[in-house]
Amino acid sequence: MLITLILITPFVASLLSLFVQKKTGMLHFLAIAASVMELMVGVVIAAEVMRNGSYSLDGLFVVDALGAILVLTLVIVGAMVSWYSTGYLKAEAAKEIIGFHRVRQYFVLLHLFLLAMFFAIMTISPLFMWIAIEATTLSTAFLISFYHKPSALEAAWKYLIINSVGLLLGFLGTLLFLYPAIQAGFRGLSTWQGLLDQAESFDPAIAKIAFIFVMVGYGTKVGLVPMHTWLPDAHSKAPAPISGLLSGMLLNVAFLAILRFKQLADAAVGIYFSQSILIFFGITSIVVAAFFIFGQKNYKRLLAYSSIEHMGIISLGFGFGGTAAFAGLLHMIYHSFAKSLLFLSAGNILLTFSSTKIKKVKGVLSVLPVTAILFMIGFLVITGVPPFGIFITEFSIISVGIQTYPIVTIITLFALTLAFAGFLRHVVGMIFGDSQRRVVKEKAVSIVPIAVLAFILIVSSVFIPQAISTLITAATSAH
Amino acid sequence: MDILSPQLLYFLETILFATVLSMHLVKKNFVIISLYSLQSFIISILLFSATLREASLLLLGVAVATFFIKVIVAPYFFFRLIKKIRLHFLVSTYLNGPLILIVLALLTTFSHSQYFKPLTILAPGNENALLLTVGMIFISVFLIINRKGALSQMVGVLSLENAIVSFAFLAGLEQAPGPQLGIIFEIALWVVIATVFASMIYQQFGSLNVAAMVELKED
Repeated sequence: MLITLILITPFVASLLSLFVQKKTGMLHFLAIAASVMELMVGVVIAAEVMRNGSYSLDGLFVVDALGAILVLTLVIVGAMVSWYSTGYLKAEAAKEIIGFHRVRQYFVLLHLFLLAMFFAIMTISPLFMWIAIEATTLSTAFLISFYHKPSALEAAWKYLIINSVGLLLGFLGTLLFLYPAIQAGFRGLSTWQGLLDQAESFDPAIAKIAFIFVMVGYGTKVGLVPMHTWLPDAHSKAPAPISGLLSGMLLNVAFLAILRFKQLADAAVGIYFSQSILIFFGITSIVVAAFFIFGQKNYKRLLAYSSIEHMGIISLGFGFGGTAAFAGLLHMIYHSFAKSLLFLSAGNILLTFSSTKIKKVKGVLSVLPVTAILFMIGFLVITGVPPFGIFITEFSIISVGIQTYPIVTIITLFALTLAFAGFLRHVVGMIFGDSQRRVVKEKAVSIVPIAVLAFILIVSSVFIPQAISTLITAATSAH
Repeated sequence: MDILSPQLLYFLETILFATVLSMHLVKKNFVIISLYSLQSFIISILLFSATLREASLLLLGVAVATFFIKVIVAPYFFFRLIKKIRLHFLVSTYLNGPLILIVLALLTTFSHSQYFKPLTILAPGNENALLLTVGMIFISVFLIINRKGALSQMVGVLSLENAIVSFAFLAGLEQAPGPQLGIIFEIALWVVIATVFASMIYQQFGSLNVAAMVELKED
C-alpha cells in the first residue's frame, strides 16, 4: 500500500501537471502536495523497515535497510527541491527567462524524475532497476537543456550519449550477473535475492568481467573518473534545483546499483576484487576532482566537481570495507543534504548576480546575507570541517584506510587538502568583499528549504538517532 | 523448435559484425541508417527464432515490438531527420581511414583475447559467434567516440544495444518478456528524444557536427 502510494503520487502529479492550463499556482500546489505526500509515506516506509527489517509489496518491490536510507534521503531532498523550485521558477518567470509552458514542462519532468528514482530504489529486479535508471536519463535530459541555450544543449547531448553508452555497458554487466540463475533453470523475473542465492555458483572469471562492466556502466552515472566528463557540464547547466537533485540524489541511486552488484560479486569472487576496483575509481575521482576544484572559475561547476570528489570518497569507504563502509554510507547521506543545500543556495546567488562565474560574484554576504550564511554552512560541511558530520565520516574512512592502504590514504589526504584550499579560495572570494548591488530581500520560499537542510545537517552532525544508526549498520553489514 | 543451426547463427553474427564494421567506412547517412536497419532486422530474426523455440506468445510480442521499433520506427525518424536538414553526407571522424582500420583490427583482436575467453562457456557451440558480438560491442563504442556527427553517435548507441541483445541471445541470457518490453519501450523513447535533440542541435549550431559545439569550453 505504502509503496503503491509513493509510486503513484509522482505519477499522478506529473499527469495532472501536464493538463494544467495557464495556472502556475496549480503547478506549484501539485508539486508541494505531492512532495508532502511522498515525505510522509517515505518516513512511514522507513519506520516500517526499522521495525521489521524490510517492507515489500507483492514480491515486486522491496525496501530493505539500504533502500530505506535512500528513500528517506530522497523524500527529504525531493520535498525541499520541489518547494524551492516553486519560488525559483516564479523568480525566473518574473525576469522573463521562462514562460508558463516551460514551468509546466519542468514540473512534469521533475515528478517523472522522482518517480524513476523511487522505482529504481525499490524494485526487486536488477533489470527493472536498469530501466528505471535509464528513465532518469531520459526524464532529465530536457531539464538539463531547459534554458535552450547552446551550452545547455551541448551539456544535455553529452549527458544523453555518455550516460546511454555507460548504462548499456552496465546492462551487459547486469545480464552477465543473471547467468547463474538462468543456468540453475530459473526463467522468471530475476530478483536481487534470487541472484544472491545463486551467486556462489557464479564462475569467478565471468563474475569479474560482469562487475567491471557494471562498475564502468553505473560508474558513469555516478560520475566516477574517468567516466565523469558529462557531470560538470550537466550539473552546471541544469536549473539550480535540478542540479541539487542530480547531485544530491541521482548519484546515490546509481551508487545503490553498484552496491547491490558488489554484494553479488563478493559472493562469487570474494570481497577483495570489488574492493580494489572501488578503491581505484575512488582515489582517481578524488584526485582529479581536487585539481579541478582548485582551478575552477564557475561556482556551479565547482559544486559538480565536488560531487565527483565525494562519490570518490564514498567509493573509497566501501572499498576499504568494515567501519569505512558504515562511514561511506553516512557520508552519502550527509553529501545529499549538503550538496542540495549548496546548489539551492547557488540558485539564489545566480538569480541575483545573473552569472555563474566566480569572479563576477562578490560580496554575497552583503547582498544576500541569509543565503551567504547558509552557503557558508554548506561549504563548511562539504569540505569536512569539524565538527560537521563529513569530518567524522572522512576521518573514519581515513582511519581504516591508513592501516590497510597507507599510500592510497596519504594521496587522499593530499587531495582533500587541495580541494579544501581550492573551495575556501573560491568561497571566500564570493562571500566576502564589496558589491555594488543593493541588499536583496530574500523570500521565505527561497530560504526556508535551504535552512531546513542546514538544520538537518547541523543536528545530524552531533546526534544520529539510534534507529538510523541501526539502519546504516544493517545496510552496510554485507560490505 | 530451433530454426537456427550453429552455422546459420554464425553466419548471421558475421553479417551483424560486418554491418558495424561498415558503419565506420561508409560516407552517406542513408547507408549508415540502412546498415542499422539490416542489423536490427537480423536481431528481429534472432528474437523470432527464440519465440519458436519457447513457443511463447509474449516473446512473439517482444519480437514484433523489436521489429516495429528498430526496423521501422527508428530508421523512419532518422530518414526524416536527414531529409529535413538535407544532411546527406556524414561529417568527419576524429581518426583518418588507415588509423580507423588499425583500431578496428585491435578491437577485434582484443575481443578475441584471453580476457574474454571465459565468456565462451556461456555459449557452448557458438564460441566464435559470441566473441564476434563482444567485438561488435567495442566497435560500436568506437563508432560513437570516433564520429563527429550526432546522427552517427545515435546509430552507434543503437548498434551497441543491438550488439548486447545479440550477445544475450547467444549466451542464453534472454529475460522474461516483461523487462524485455520495458527495454524496447525505452529504446523507442530514446530514439524520439535523441532525434528531438539532434533537431535542436541543428537549429542552434547549423550543423550536426558535435565538434562545432564548443560553448562549454568557454566556461
